[in-house]
Amino acid sequence: MLQRFEYAAPTDRAELLRLLAESAEYRAQAEYGARTEHGAMAKLLAGGTDLLVNIRAGVAKPSLVIDVKKVAGYAGISWSESEGLIIRPAVTINEILRDAAVSSRFPLLAECARDLASYQIRNRATVIGNVVNASPCSDMAPALLCLGARALVASSRGRREIPFSGFFTGVKKTALGSDEILEAIVVPASSAGARGAYRKLKRIAGHDLGIVGVALSRKDGLVKIGISSSAPTPILVEGLEEGDSVDKVAAAAREAISPISDVRCSKEYREFMVETFVKRLMREVA
Amino acid sequence: MKIRVMVNGGAYERDVEAHRTLLRFLREDLGLTGTKEGCGAGECGACTVFLNGKTVNSCMVLAVEADGAEVETIEGEAEDGRLSAIQAAFDRHHAIQCGYCTGGMVMSVRELLRKNPKPSIAQIKEGIEGNFCRCTGYQQIIEAVLDVSGQLTPANKGELKYA
Amino acid sequence: MLENTDPSGLAVVGRPERRVDGVEKVTGDAIYTSDMSLPGMLYAQVKKSPHARARILRVDASKAESLPGVRAVLVGSELDYRLGLYVVDKDILAKKEVRHYGEAVAAVAADSLEIAREAVELIAVDYEPLPPVLNHMDALKPGAPLVHPDLGSYDYVPVFSPQAGTNIPNLSKLRKGDVDKGFAESEWIVEREYTNPSVQHVPMETHVAIVEWKSGDAITIWTSAQSPFTVRALFCYTFKLPLNNVRVVVPHVGGGFGGKAGIHLEPLAACLSRKAGGRPVKLQASREEEFSLLPCRSALTYKIKTGVRSDGRILAQELTLYWDAGAYADYAVNVTRASGYSAAGPYDIPNVKLDAYTIYTNKPYGTAYRGFGHVEFFWGLERHLELVAGVIGMDPLEFRKLNLLKPGSITITGETIAEHTGDPTKCLDAAAKAINYGRLTQEEAEREKRTGRKIGKGIATLHKAPAMPSFTATAAIVKMNSDGSVIVNVGLTEIGQGSATAIAQIAAERLRFPLSKIKVAIEKDTDKEPYDWQTVASKGIILSGNATVLACEDLLKEAYEVAAQVLRAQPIDLDHDAEKVFVRHRPDRSVSFAQLSVGYAFPDGNAIGGPLIGVGRYVAQGLSNLDKETGQGLPALDWTYGAHGVIAEVDLETGEYQVIKVASVFDVGKVINPEIVRGQAIGGMIQGLGTAICEGYIYDDQGRLLNPSFTDNKIPTAKDLPEEIESIAVETAQLDGPYGARGVGEHPMISVAPALGNAIMQASGAELLHMPIRFEDVWRAMRNREPIDNWITKTPTGSCRSDPATRIHSPNRAAAP
Repeated sequence: MLQRFEYAAPTDRAELLRLLAESAEYRAQAEYGARTEHGAMAKLLAGGTDLLVNIRAGVAKPSLVIDVKKVAGYAGISWSESEGLIIRPAVTINEILRDAAVSSRFPLLAECARDLASYQIRNRATVIGNVVNASPCSDMAPALLCLGARALVASSRGRREIPFSGFFTGVKKTALGSDEILEAIVVPASSAGARGAYRKLKRIAGHDLGIVGVALSRKDGLVKIGISSSAPTPILVEGLEEGDSVDKVAAAAREAISPISDVRCSKEYREFMVETFVKRLMREVA
Repeated sequence: MKIRVMVNGGAYERDVEAHRTLLRFLREDLGLTGTKEGCGAGECGACTVFLNGKTVNSCMVLAVEADGAEVETIEGEAEDGRLSAIQAAFDRHHAIQCGYCTGGMVMSVRELLRKNPKPSIAQIKEGIEGNFCRCTGYQQIIEAVLDVSGQLTPANKGELKYA
Repeated sequence: MLENTDPSGLAVVGRPERRVDGVEKVTGDAIYTSDMSLPGMLYAQVKKSPHARARILRVDASKAESLPGVRAVLVGSELDYRLGLYVVDKDILAKKEVRHYGEAVAAVAADSLEIAREAVELIAVDYEPLPPVLNHMDALKPGAPLVHPDLGSYDYVPVFSPQAGTNIPNLSKLRKGDVDKGFAESEWIVEREYTNPSVQHVPMETHVAIVEWKSGDAITIWTSAQSPFTVRALFCYTFKLPLNNVRVVVPHVGGGFGGKAGIHLEPLAACLSRKAGGRPVKLQASREEEFSLLPCRSALTYKIKTGVRSDGRILAQELTLYWDAGAYADYAVNVTRASGYSAAGPYDIPNVKLDAYTIYTNKPYGTAYRGFGHVEFFWGLERHLELVAGVIGMDPLEFRKLNLLKPGSITITGETIAEHTGDPTKCLDAAAKAINYGRLTQEEAEREKRTGRKIGKGIATLHKAPAMPSFTATAAIVKMNSDGSVIVNVGLTEIGQGSATAIAQIAAERLRFPLSKIKVAIEKDTDKEPYDWQTVASKGIILSGNATVLACEDLLKEAYEVAAQVLRAQPIDLDHDAEKVFVRHRPDRSVSFAQLSVGYAFPDGNAIGGPLIGVGRYVAQGLSNLDKETGQGLPALDWTYGAHGVIAEVDLETGEYQVIKVASVFDVGKVINPEIVRGQAIGGMIQGLGTAICEGYIYDDQGRLLNPSFTDNKIPTAKDLPEEIESIAVETAQLDGPYGARGVGEHPMISVAPALGNAIMQASGAELLHMPIRFEDVWRAMRNREPIDNWITKTPTGSCRSDPATRIHSPNRAAAP
């Protein structure tokens, strides 16, 4: 890492939100050509496996990195029938894979987590980090979309909730304001027990980002499909029911995607593989 | 910023800049060059170390994040100059050629065997998936792990055949 | 050599002894250039071109120079030196023009990497972008922009043929027999074209050098390199210095694969040191720079036209190789030359016309890479033979066996093959047998039913001789320590391939010492090691192995001479064991090696002898230059033959595939260390699979490299291994090799890809002509859809894919019934 920045590791939630607000102010003022004495252009640091890569590549240029891992109340996964599954900012991908509530009640989450990068990365990368990075290739997003998860967002101005179906707004863009943090992911208890699976097309058997990724879940007579790497954002295909034909479901998926050709794959093959994965998942997920 | 880190059981106190990675801290500030940089972007695993008991790519961790933490590197693997069982198996099975990936690879193998003392071949491959080796083709590394875990048999111990 | 080295009753050679460098590597103790730090050392960073081709109008380094902590800034106009192994075509920093994306334009040495990076950002370069020539076939067209308009004025090694006024720094030709006659007699003529993209070596340790240029032009270079003597020679050629001014030191090397065979970052680091008043300067490539600033492997378009009789005999081959070497000639012209005498494969072909072109384009340039062109052209050749076999309706295995070289065959350069040259037929048979070629086992048939996927099997042969000068030489020095142990110094460099261990085993065997008494110095130092040409070409075991044997014999001869005086016997009546020299018929009369080691002292104090030091030299013998017009001559120190068998499983719907088994066979003459041979066999095979499955440079239509990192330039992980791997050695003794051994360092990588391509074709009918073989490519080929551009996306002037048309005609065949 050759680019310089400052580091803060608040232990107090209010302090974190204050730093964020300051940074947003600084950013806004900088855009207008004004400079402020205090504050800095900040980026939040959780696992670092996206942020540090981006800083190294010169894509992100923060002057302050705010570590969220030491904030009280930001660790751990919890489950209850009343509140559902709550995933907090410091929760890593490997923690998801080890969690009993996830494996017994939300196996689709574990499915998507299993093939995410490498073991070392999964020890650091966080679920929340993966979704706020908002890459169209996000492995966790398809599961969260299928499971009807909600984003709990906080800032010094207060709290709000965004369903994940409205969270991703563009390539690497989310509905988060510049002073906001995604503080928790809530997967509703009503999605517990959903049957599902995730198919990810890679270039090699070893760790790779998804060329296309399709998650399919079945619950309460509904079929939902979450698709990554096939549009500017991860997308959700809804309105499908148990009993709909394989062809109908595949066609709905086909309609929803808008893949591009890039160095990894052509548009044509992506379209074909999304359809193929949907058809195979329809048969595979009972 | 001042940080205090335990590395291989020894306490270190140093002043570091916020942007310094744990990898550069270990190699340049502490002179522990057994952990290598292969890509600097968290892809190749040559920089794998234990951070508070979990294997991580140290090029993707800031030194300041390791304040108060326990770090273990390849230099801590041998005890009193005696090779660990993993190291001895690597040596026996020619799981080393140029040696550049070896430090990180041994760390990942230790973590694999801690989680799963008798991993299958598929689980071994999964366990070292995040460690690139360009020289060996991985097979002799896998055999070393089978040996350490007491699973080496004539069936899975590959040998050069003669035609 | 073999007569001198009794291959029976071997104690050390042939055993899977542990590596001599295993412990220091597995503990993290081994020091590589990238680990080194010297007092006062500065850190360098490079400013690189974002354009594939552009004029440099202005470079303003003033802000960089005044940044605190910056100790030296260099721009191209300051450096009037030329570099080039064979064609001297490269500046240390681009001067008036940049010729490829990522080319170095300026450099900074500073107190820290961060300051150096900041300084590089402050250097302002004004470019005038020019239209680049990216497609090597376009570079051949008249009117194509010239990458090197001054090619005609460059110095070059006379063995090569640069074509002034073109983009061709070398053209190699070979003519054997009369191809027109051969085609006229053929019943079928089959023509097709095959392509390979550029790939990178991906050594785990990127290129790195530390150079100190001190007063009186005394220069020390620490570098991660394969060939310390070549670094010294090329450095001194460039800077016009006597060789004694320069000392090159090579500590442990984190992989080379040919990418570190020549000279790369050393001259730039040296110039920075000189400008910084002699402080040592460390220059290390980032992984992204490894992909674009440092060289890769040339791409290739291979056009093959084969004339064959219906009984399967190949009568004529017309072979045209178009090597896309990128912006500088480097090793590429020699790869072209080597392909020129080897690209017909290990086959007996009476009539051959071969033309091999090195072509400049505005892309990162190609250097040596394991296989030296053979991995690239065997893709085309072994895929083509499969096609030809299909045309005449012959089993591909039988077709190959019919045409393989046999004792008495004459190669395309006019060399006669003997029994002891090696046994390609045995290799191919063993590979085919290991995969049950030609049928499915019951288990495989059941697997097909269970999975719904189709299993296919493919084979391919390979051969390679070391591509090296006909006068390549080396030496070994064996020095005895006062306890009777020895140290061996060879210039051959340990880069992971196990050369130090093999040399130690050979020395132990010849001396009849246990391996524990042998030390092979790992660090190379041109002030201390005896000369070795380069650690390339799979020639180390023969040349350095022989030199080691001779050095051991020299040492023993000296020891016997002194012992004869001590024991008052004739040298011919003496024998020895691990500890002592003794009179054969009166073994109680003996003197220990320790007593002889540094001079023998009689009981009364008189002394004779002196330090025991054995020297052995070996030069390649009987090789000859190739005729420039016909390519005839004797270029080959030895031939290592081999074959791969691959079993692949294909999803016929999606084109996804996996490799079930690879069986690899090599005729190595004599296995010095089976675990090291197996390590080379598997490591090389996996590297070959990487180029087959997922590796390859991709550019945009402006010549920018789109995959300069592991994100999109994938290499195999442990999960990419075939389910089953078999490595098999054939031992047809190399009569002039130590204990009968010949090299096998490069060969395991060769021909893996076409064996896979043949297996996939058998399973799915997909005819693959390009590498890598991506799932999407299989899918397209199965559906006869247009292949997508593999190398250059959105190219306006036509794609870089090969002409997929297959031309099969039958000029002499009577109309089919």
